[in-house]
Amino acid sequence: MAAPAYPAWVTRWVSGQWRNKKRPPALRPPRTLALADKVANRRERATDATCITEMSVMMACWKQNDFKDTPCAEEIRKFYDCVAKAEKEHKNENEDTLSSRGNLPSSKVNKLLKRFPQMTRYV
Amino acid sequence: MAAPSAAGLGRRLRAWLPRIMPVRWSRYDTSYLEPEVKKESYQKPVEELTEEEREQMELKTVRPIKAAPPTVSSSVFTDPMISKFTNMMMRSGNKVLARSLMSQTLETIKRKQLEKYHKAPENEKETIECNPYVIFHQALKNCQPIIGLSNITKGGKTYQVPVPLTDNRKRFLAMKWLITECRENKHRRTLMPEKLSQELLLAFNNEGPVIKKKHVLHKMAEANRAYAHFRWW
Repeated sequence: MAAPAYPAWVTRWVSGQWRNKKRPPALRPPRTLALADKVANRRERATDATCITEMSVMMACWKQNDFKDTPCAEEIRKFYDCVAKAEKEHKNENEDTLSSRGNLPSSKVNKLLKRFPQMTRYV
Repeated sequence: MAAPSAAGLGRRLRAWLPRIMPVRWSRYDTSYLEPEVKKESYQKPVEELTEEEREQMELKTVRPIKAAPPTVSSSVFTDPMISKFTNMMMRSGNKVLARSLMSQTLETIKRKQLEKYHKAPENEKETIECNPYVIFHQALKNCQPIIGLSNITKGGKTYQVPVPLTDNRKRFLAMKWLITECRENKHRRTLMPEKLSQELLLAFNNEGPVIKKKHVLHKMAEANRAYAHFRWW
């Protein structure tokens, strides 16, 4: 006769896999399978320091000119401009939009989720 | 009944009070506007004002205005930097003494510069600056540090990290250094106007111990420039 087509459980039983504990996992979720109203508090990676290049250029100029300010006036001015720009950006960025890196910190995400919570019952 | 109403009142009071109580707060309501002290703004004819200035004037007719603090004045001789410096020199609220010391300092600077002016040969007379206010401002500007150090703890160790300073902080440091230098490192019997005028003239010429202190700070910042990446702002 051709190969007899037994149901899958028969072959599995016969092969002894079931007895060797090779069973499919019985999923018993301890929590409800629904999204929670908050995300875990993740420590955001620290943002990089601003104006480092201008600072290093200024310091190189200082080293050459014995830390006098008059020959280095141009570099100092550039450093001040960079610092003012970074300060302005830092002031403007505190909103509900994405940060400069493109991610939202967990506190802001939690605020948004709190405004639109999961439905627990139908009304 | 008294008991439920007291409990309700307590809960409502706690809900009304914010969780963080500000320590320094103004007794003025939010509708109060700041006073305009400069005389020039009142002498402009009505047609010259821009749209927003006209709106501001109309707002002032309906809103109450705060009282002007004693530190601001409409005189032409006031200078906010000089007032700030006088306040920093003041001890135990003795503003009269601090102000007299400041005026004596400016007078001493003028006298010294005039003496130099009259002794100098003709071609050098233009280079000598006699205006004590100009000397004060320039000296303060020369004393301001450009970059500061701040303590940042990372991995259990504290590092001195070079950090840009705000304008207010720079001004404060320059004034503080000048005053401490005069108070501590001079002979006991010299009077403050004498010491201060000497320090201000040295700082005006980019010499002196305060400028040296600024250079020392810059050198330390330059030595620690490798830690600049520890900053996160």
